[in-house]
Amino acid sequence: MLKIRNLRKIYGNYHALDGLDMDIEDGSLYGFVGPNGAGKTTTIKIISGLLLPDGGSVEIDGIDALAQPHCLKEKIGYVPDYFGVYDNLKVWEYMEFFAACYGIEGLKARKRLRILLEQVGLGDKLEFYVDGLSRGMKQRLCLARALLHEPALLVMDEPAAGLDPRTRLEFRETVRELNEQGMTILLSSHLLTDLTELCTDVGIIDAGKMLLAGSVEEIIEKIHTSKPVIITVHNNLQAALGLLKEHPLVRSISVKEQEILVQFAGSGKQESRLLTELVQAGVEVRGFMREPGSLEAVFMQLTNHEEERVVLSYEADFESGL
Amino acid sequence: MKLISNPVYRREIRVSSRSFRLALVLLTFNGILALVALLNMYSMLSQVRATAEIQYDSFLDLYMFVAVLEFVMLIFIMPAITAGSISGERERQTLDLMLSTRLTPTQIVLGKLMSSLSTMVLLIVSSFPILALVFVYGGVTMRDMGLLLICYGAAALFSGSLGVFCSALFRKSTLSTVVAYGVMGMIVIGTYGINQLALLFSRMPGEAYLVTTGAGGGGGSSGGFLYLLLLNPTATFVMTMLRLAGREASRGKVTQWFGTHEEGFLSQNWVSCSVVLQIVMAVALIWMAVRAVRPGKKVR
Repeated sequence: MLKIRNLRKIYGNYHALDGLDMDIEDGSLYGFVGPNGAGKTTTIKIISGLLLPDGGSVEIDGIDALAQPHCLKEKIGYVPDYFGVYDNLKVWEYMEFFAACYGIEGLKARKRLRILLEQVGLGDKLEFYVDGLSRGMKQRLCLARALLHEPALLVMDEPAAGLDPRTRLEFRETVRELNEQGMTILLSSHLLTDLTELCTDVGIIDAGKMLLAGSVEEIIEKIHTSKPVIITVHNNLQAALGLLKEHPLVRSISVKEQEILVQFAGSGKQESRLLTELVQAGVEVRGFMREPGSLEAVFMQLTNHEEERVVLSYEADFESGL
Repeated sequence: MKLISNPVYRREIRVSSRSFRLALVLLTFNGILALVALLNMYSMLSQVRATAEIQYDSFLDLYMFVAVLEFVMLIFIMPAITAGSISGERERQTLDLMLSTRLTPTQIVLGKLMSSLSTMVLLIVSSFPILALVFVYGGVTMRDMGLLLICYGAAALFSGSLGVFCSALFRKSTLSTVVAYGVMGMIVIGTYGINQLALLFSRMPGEAYLVTTGAGGGGGSSGGFLYLLLLNPTATFVMTMLRLAGREASRGKVTQWFGTHEEGFLSQNWVSCSVVLQIVMAVALIWMAVRAVRPGKKVR
């Protein structure tokens, strides 16, 4: 669906985007995460045709979107991190205006806007002035506006910002429904718990570069392996240490009384194999656990620049070790 | 591009026609004109009763008064209406939303400009019944009216384009309004000022300097600076009014302004040349506004 390669954007001396790569598959709900100033909004504005990059390529369904911006606008529905509404228009007038902006006029426009307003729960608010809508309703109106031309990709920049928990939950459900109906969605957010529950894929950006991208499960699995395995033994500590020192996937070992902290670069399956080996070596294992990974943990690790080097070098070790 | 199919134009017209402000402006503007016109007529009729003498000049003065008032309004209200058009969209954060659709920057700029012009046309057309009072006694031909409307059209287009350009260039409506008024002031008053200064200098002992720079025409005149007035819609309007009042032979000759100048093509076709120049300037300003609105452009 969307393929971005080596995207660059420079503001003066500041590199907002520094060779960003991104792939979004058809039908996926892609979470775009990064700290403030990482380059999320710049990327989204380029994807939406509101900003020109200084280099790189953006392809949508195989079409060079930068060479043919009109194609880009046909295929993208853009929901910004603000409402962007005209307070002095009624809800149907606002929708009719944007329908006309997409070249949809007359009866077709009126039918389409009614369907969309019903879909986002504003079917009974047609005659209301936009000014009188709540924040949540305005956000849903914005979502309906972005869907007017039946876009192939819905791009949302922090859509839940400033919404109360209930409205956020309702909005999340609407997004989920849209995705279940087959719409490809790019969703930028700071709310990592929302993204974990909602998204099929995630991309983590920092300093204009994509640090990590893939399915949510893959990413959590990766960070899972970066946490130490805590092994508590009842006896035979020396035997356990001897086995661990010889193990090819063990990176480091530290001992605290009967507890062994092992930096183990293996998957869940390899963890259970290690446990079996320990038991077979006559070690009485009382505890064997690894703290589960989360998207928040991934985000914190990757965007903490001190730790970033550790994680990246670890990733390199991990890959070469396997 | 059909104007009526421009969504921005349609939305602007819908919103402005709904607003109480437009009705109030129409009422106030036409109320003042009607009051002045009726008082003027009453005074003339009283004079007729008292002296049995009809002063036809007074009707022409009434016409000129209305025409001048409308012109001043065009020149000074148009920038105010248009200077917030694009920057207002930026402030509301709706410009990006429009640019993310199939709308082109040209459609956005023209939609904004045309809706402002439509409002001005509405004001002018609504004042026609008052202007028509002059036809009771005659003295103004349809040709004169046509010429006046062309003059209005060019001035409105020019001042409106200037407002839209400033609005596209600056992020804040306040700043763009200040700049639009500043530039308009420079054009309206500045060009007169420059000519006045040039005339003063040419009459001073150090005249030789201006003569060598081409500004002094010899014998005390503003020289080549006179043609700066071609940019000034007020100068063109004054010319049109003087021609209408039959004073072209005396003060109506542009070559007699700011000293004596030689007759030439420009001075003989002053109104036409000025109107064409204003339209050209307006087109250039619209083009620059469109460029400033294009996605990715830096805004001050």
